[in-house]
Amino acid sequence: MSIFFKSPIDIEVLLDGEESRKHVEIANADNHAARTLKDRFPVYEDGESVSGIVTLRVKEGKKLEHLGVKVSLVGSVDISKSSSERKKRPVETFLSMSADLCPHGELTHSQSFPFNFKDVEKRYESYRGKNVDVSYYVKVTVLRKSTDIVKHKPFWCLLYNRDPMPAAVSKTADKDMPVKLDIGIENCLHIEFEYSKPHFSLKDVIVGRIYFLLTRLKVKHMELSVITRETCGLEPNQLSDSTSIRYEIMDGSPVKGETIPIRLFLGGYELTPTSNFNHFSIKNYLSLVIIDEDGRRYFKQSEITLYRRRT
Amino acid sequence: MSYAENIEQAVSVCKQQTVLMQRCLAQEKLMDALKHTSIMLTELRSPLLTPKQYYELYILIYDSLSILSTYFVDCHTKRHHLADLYELVQYAGNILPRLYLMITVGSAYLQCADSPREEIFKDMIEMCKGVQHPMRGLFLRYYLSQRTKEFFQADSPEAKKTNANFVITNFIEMNKLWVRLQHQGPLREREQRTRERKELKILIGVNLVRLSQIVESDFNMYKDEILPLVLEQVIQCRDVVSQEYLFDVICQVFPDEFHLGTLAELLSTSLKLNPAVPVNKIVLTLVERLNGFIDRQENPGIDEISQKLASLNIGEENSNLFFIFWKFLNQLSEERPDLQLQELAPVVQGILKLKLRWGPDNIRNVNTLLSFMTEKCKEHGKAIPDECDYLFHDLLLAPEFTNSMKFFYNVLTQCAAYQELLSLQNKKLQRHCVNEILDMLVNARWQITSKADLETILKICESLIEADSEKPASSLMLDEDDALGNENWTLSPDHEKLAKLTHLCFNKSVDVHIELLLSCRNWFQRSGRNIKYHSPAIISNFWILIRKCQWKLKREQADSEKYSNTIKQLFKHISRTIDNLYNSSGGGCLDLIYKLNLQTASLADQSQLGDIAYDFFSQAFTTFEESLSDSRTQFQAIVNMAQTLQKTRNLYMESYYETLITRCTLHGSKLLKKQDQCRAVYTCSHLWWATEISLLGEEEGITESFFREGKRVLECLQRSLRVADSVMDNVQSCELMIEILDRCCYYFIHGDETSTNVSVKYINGLVELIKTNIDSLKLERNSMLDDDRTLNNGGDKAYIGIDGCYIHLGATNSVATTFTKPPTSKSTNLESIPIEHFDRTLQYIQDQKEVDSRFKAIVL
Repeated sequence: MSIFFKSPIDIEVLLDGEESRKHVEIANADNHAARTLKDRFPVYEDGESVSGIVTLRVKEGKKLEHLGVKVSLVGSVDISKSSSERKKRPVETFLSMSADLCPHGELTHSQSFPFNFKDVEKRYESYRGKNVDVSYYVKVTVLRKSTDIVKHKPFWCLLYNRDPMPAAVSKTADKDMPVKLDIGIENCLHIEFEYSKPHFSLKDVIVGRIYFLLTRLKVKHMELSVITRETCGLEPNQLSDSTSIRYEIMDGSPVKGETIPIRLFLGGYELTPTSNFNHFSIKNYLSLVIIDEDGRRYFKQSEITLYRRRT
Repeated sequence: MSYAENIEQAVSVCKQQTVLMQRCLAQEKLMDALKHTSIMLTELRSPLLTPKQYYELYILIYDSLSILSTYFVDCHTKRHHLADLYELVQYAGNILPRLYLMITVGSAYLQCADSPREEIFKDMIEMCKGVQHPMRGLFLRYYLSQRTKEFFQADSPEAKKTNANFVITNFIEMNKLWVRLQHQGPLREREQRTRERKELKILIGVNLVRLSQIVESDFNMYKDEILPLVLEQVIQCRDVVSQEYLFDVICQVFPDEFHLGTLAELLSTSLKLNPAVPVNKIVLTLVERLNGFIDRQENPGIDEISQKLASLNIGEENSNLFFIFWKFLNQLSEERPDLQLQELAPVVQGILKLKLRWGPDNIRNVNTLLSFMTEKCKEHGKAIPDECDYLFHDLLLAPEFTNSMKFFYNVLTQCAAYQELLSLQNKKLQRHCVNEILDMLVNARWQITSKADLETILKICESLIEADSEKPASSLMLDEDDALGNENWTLSPDHEKLAKLTHLCFNKSVDVHIELLLSCRNWFQRSGRNIKYHSPAIISNFWILIRKCQWKLKREQADSEKYSNTIKQLFKHISRTIDNLYNSSGGGCLDLIYKLNLQTASLADQSQLGDIAYDFFSQAFTTFEESLSDSRTQFQAIVNMAQTLQKTRNLYMESYYETLITRCTLHGSKLLKKQDQCRAVYTCSHLWWATEISLLGEEEGITESFFREGKRVLECLQRSLRVADSVMDNVQSCELMIEILDRCCYYFIHGDETSTNVSVKYINGLVELIKTNIDSLKLERNSMLDDDRTLNNGGDKAYIGIDGCYIHLGATNSVATTFTKPPTSKSTNLESIPIEHFDRTLQYIQDQKEVDSRFKAIVL
């Protein structure tokens, strides 16, 4: 479209100190063919002011008549309704602040306008999932009689818990108690799966062990994986799992009484903290998978809470 | 990531990745280098490789990782911190490459002075648990062991302990994996598994070698902290291959002194092993080792060794080797009643070996061991299987025994259990062993001087003595054979050896010597018919003793009474022995009995014991009359008798001599065959014409007391001539006459014509008679073809012997053959025998004429 109807002006949004700001790289979800392509976003935190300069550049020798220029800060949840529909549509705009940059008039030359949204409360963390996105952006709108000219400047929002535990889970008593799970298939396999705690920060290490009480399986190997599950929308594609980590922890078949150590550094992986929104939720599961020599998989999932903490 | 399909591909991948890795390192692209390493390490995940191929690959990768390791160390803190790297490599998704990398980084980190050594050690060994696949796990842990070995030099005991624990933990885990390898895969590949496992055993053994390097010479540490853990694992794994191998390695890698100090522990452990593990092998290894210890000492004095042991704080109970082994043996038999004799025997032998090496002269211990073995054999109940034969043979004739004859003799005589154990074996083995024992005794010319010893040895020989005695009793047929006097003198080496044994008996004291011989006799009595083999030996020993007594009698006048009594006693023993021989062997060896009697009689005569001599002569006659039935034997017996009698000198009282010679002549004249009669009688003629025996101081012409009766001589000659004349066969008849003529010449030369009654006239008549007979013989010969004769001259020759047999001398070879019957071959010209003989005799007379004028009266 833009090939045929070239926008009459360039809108550039430059956030304050953008170059020096921390950035995140997020896989480009829209373009599945080129998964390796990554988007870079500047990072903001909750309560941080978002300020910057909007520059409107008019093409040489042209002028633009407008009904006013507006800048707004938007946070929205976008959900794709069905699997066939790639496009995610906003279902909720939880944050919307706007400010006028200039009244209606005519632009004849390039003009810059500073803006500043002070101490913006950001309720949710940015997220880009399969069916759901949580996105933040600065939106510049040049109002016109005809179609408005809009420019989005996305940024990324990370929420750090001041409290080590997210409010949602901190109430539970077993704060840092080790988690012990007895798993078994009768007369076939019986193991104890133990890990140090149910809650991990994103830079944490999962330490634990697997104790084989009984094993008649011919185990080929055993993996530990972290599965991120987003829940949203309607059946049937309400659930969407993605495996964030696959980590082999055992090779070969153990005998009764064997203890296999677990140590998994989370820091090196891209993980999403556990979170809960109105329209969707993100949960993380620690999954133990045993693959036997015939290729059968036996698994056990156990929910863990991941949270972001300033390190 | 996947792995190659075969070893060649895997190797080429490894080489390729190594090159890439090195290139990346050169460009300082650490992450890329790690990536290549990771790809290379993935090859080790392949389940398709055999242990050998895996090892090949492992070696390649080890070298490659060494490059990486060097880089890590060199660039530590300059470009990276190893602590960070240690965390970084944790992100590898696959466990095997991750752990290899981790160990590589960890061991590199250990080289830095400020590294948290213990944590790294602990973490590495802990994480290795993730690999549970036996072969991959083994190699991974072997890698760990190889990478860490250089960090084990510790000075403080604390550090030493930590290091030892590290190695032991690794060892235990490796052993577990190794054992598990056995149970992998299908059952039918079990054999192959075992083989593969044996190929890998060195990986496990290396741990024990490391332990021995760590422990150095710290015995207390070994005893208290290392050995119990290692042994515990050995016991717990309950795997035959593993237990056998590990025990062997333990024995090999640690110093001898340690083994001495912990012998009890080692042995008690060996009791707890899998029943399928050959205990004997383990014990033997240990024994070899301990025996080797003595050999390795520069100055193998027992004092020095015990001093050395004392310095190691080895408890008192550990210093008595034999005691420990003895206790072990008892435990073994208690706890493992299922143990086969086959397995037990080598253990006992091993202990024996050790025993003899460490305390060579203690017979009591040997006895204890042997009696233990005896007990076991008894408990075994059933017949001992043949397969064990060689084991017991080895045990009973162990080189440790037989090296020194003195010691072996002591064992034989002082270990009651030796005999007992031997007697429990099957007959075949017993005989074999006894044979060897006897051989050794005989070859060493060992003198048996005490009765007790002799009894023991005879008891050992029991099996040999009684070997065949039971057989004949079983069948009637054989009994009949016996009754017929079947002289079955097959050579029996067994009995020959027993007979030799009697020659080994010796004592300075004649009385004791007699006792020894008597106990031999009593024992041999049991062998039934077979005493015919031993009795001559015993009797000849008695003869020797009689001679010895005679000699002493002459030298020691004071004791003459005693000695003459002893001599008489000896003759009684001989008589008794001959009786026994007669009783038990029936008709089997009458000829032998006859000859023994004669010989003894002769000896008695020489001892001036006429009565006794007479007794034996009469015994000989009895035997002759009652039992000697074969005509040839009879003739031989008469000749034998005659020649013995002719030499007697002490039979003149009560005309014993006359009685005997008359009887002898009488028997001679009653022989079955005419020619035998003839020869016997003219031989007996000498009985009336005693000749000098210069040894007794007699001399022809000086001694007056010769027994000579010419009349009887002539009578005998005449009688034999009559018999000769009546022989039907002209050749024989002629030959006999010529022989008589020879006798006449003898008497003519040696006696005066008046005293011998053999006169010129008689000789002339005899010559005339022979001439006539010869003429008629010649007539017979003339009828033969002339060319026959010419043939014979150049061909075979025949003679008639003094006992009437035909001697045939072939033309082509010089060996003469003897026949009792005339040769049937036509080519032999029998007639020429007497003719030629006669010619020779006439020639002799002719020659004598020149020397002796008396001969001139003989007309030829």
